[in-house]
Amino acid sequence: MALLTDELKAMVGREVHYPAREELGQASIRYFALAMGDANPLYVDDAYARAAGYPSIIAPPTLICETCQYAHRPADEDGYIGHEWHLPVPNSRMIRAGNEYEFMRPILPSDRISVTWKLDSMSERNASRGGTQLFVNAVATYRDAAGASVAINRETIVYQPLGAA
Amino acid sequence: MIAPTRVAATIVIGEALPVLDKRFTQVDLVAYGAATWDWHRLHYDLEYARSKNLPGTLVDGQAFGAVLARAAQDWAGPRAFITKLSFKMKSMAFAGDTLRAVGEVTAIRAVEGGHVVVLAQRLMNGERVACDCVTELRLPAA
Repeated sequence: MALLTDELKAMVGREVHYPAREELGQASIRYFALAMGDANPLYVDDAYARAAGYPSIIAPPTLICETCQYAHRPADEDGYIGHEWHLPVPNSRMIRAGNEYEFMRPILPSDRISVTWKLDSMSERNASRGGTQLFVNAVATYRDAAGASVAINRETIVYQPLGAA
Repeated sequence: MIAPTRVAATIVIGEALPVLDKRFTQVDLVAYGAATWDWHRLHYDLEYARSKNLPGTLVDGQAFGAVLARAAQDWAGPRAFITKLSFKMKSMAFAGDTLRAVGEVTAIRAVEGGHVVVLAQRLMNGERVACDCVTELRLPAA
């Protein structure tokens, strides 16, 4: 069964922007480090971070690439609030295939980060265990308040038909 | 007193990173989901996860990247800056799994103001490969 319909193809190139609603903040950074069990003082100890050459504590690198924090809507029935393309791929589940993060500079609690997602490309491939999978490539560009790009996240998500599992 | 940062001249190709074990209990999945605003049922609702043909509640794939970044940063020290983290998922992980980050240096190149070190990192989930990653860090000039 062909997954890559004309309706899907027409969505390639679509962009969605999520504005910065507030500064990242020290609490977000400490919460993430605590959740990861990461005791690196760069994320919580201002004097330590300054001694290491930073203007303040910094964020763990992958924090700003986490998708849901830019959202501003109620949770859907899956409990999800983050960015999604709402691709019409019936009876399937989404699985992360990979991410390529690029980081331009350390992120500070004072940073106001916005993100623009672009639906870059889609392709169909045969799964090794049979059936067809849809690969969806998207690019998120994170910018600071001055508009400078501070990180890029190239993400590949696979849609697998549920019947094939 | 801050921890030392690695100096390119003392790094050899093939040098292994210290192993980092990170267990993701159900509590850890809830904590990570909360810290990243991710309230998706996959991470805490077992019945829901099973309805999606999964054997357990799912470790967020982006948490794999967080573990790999932590292992790389811990090894390189506080003045090192991760410039690239490119990871490919090989298998899923579920509540109760322990992910082991391993890695080694595959290249070092001089850039303006310092060096870039390239790492090949991997997350093991028991005998299974969970994730492969190419990581690049910028080290300041010594």
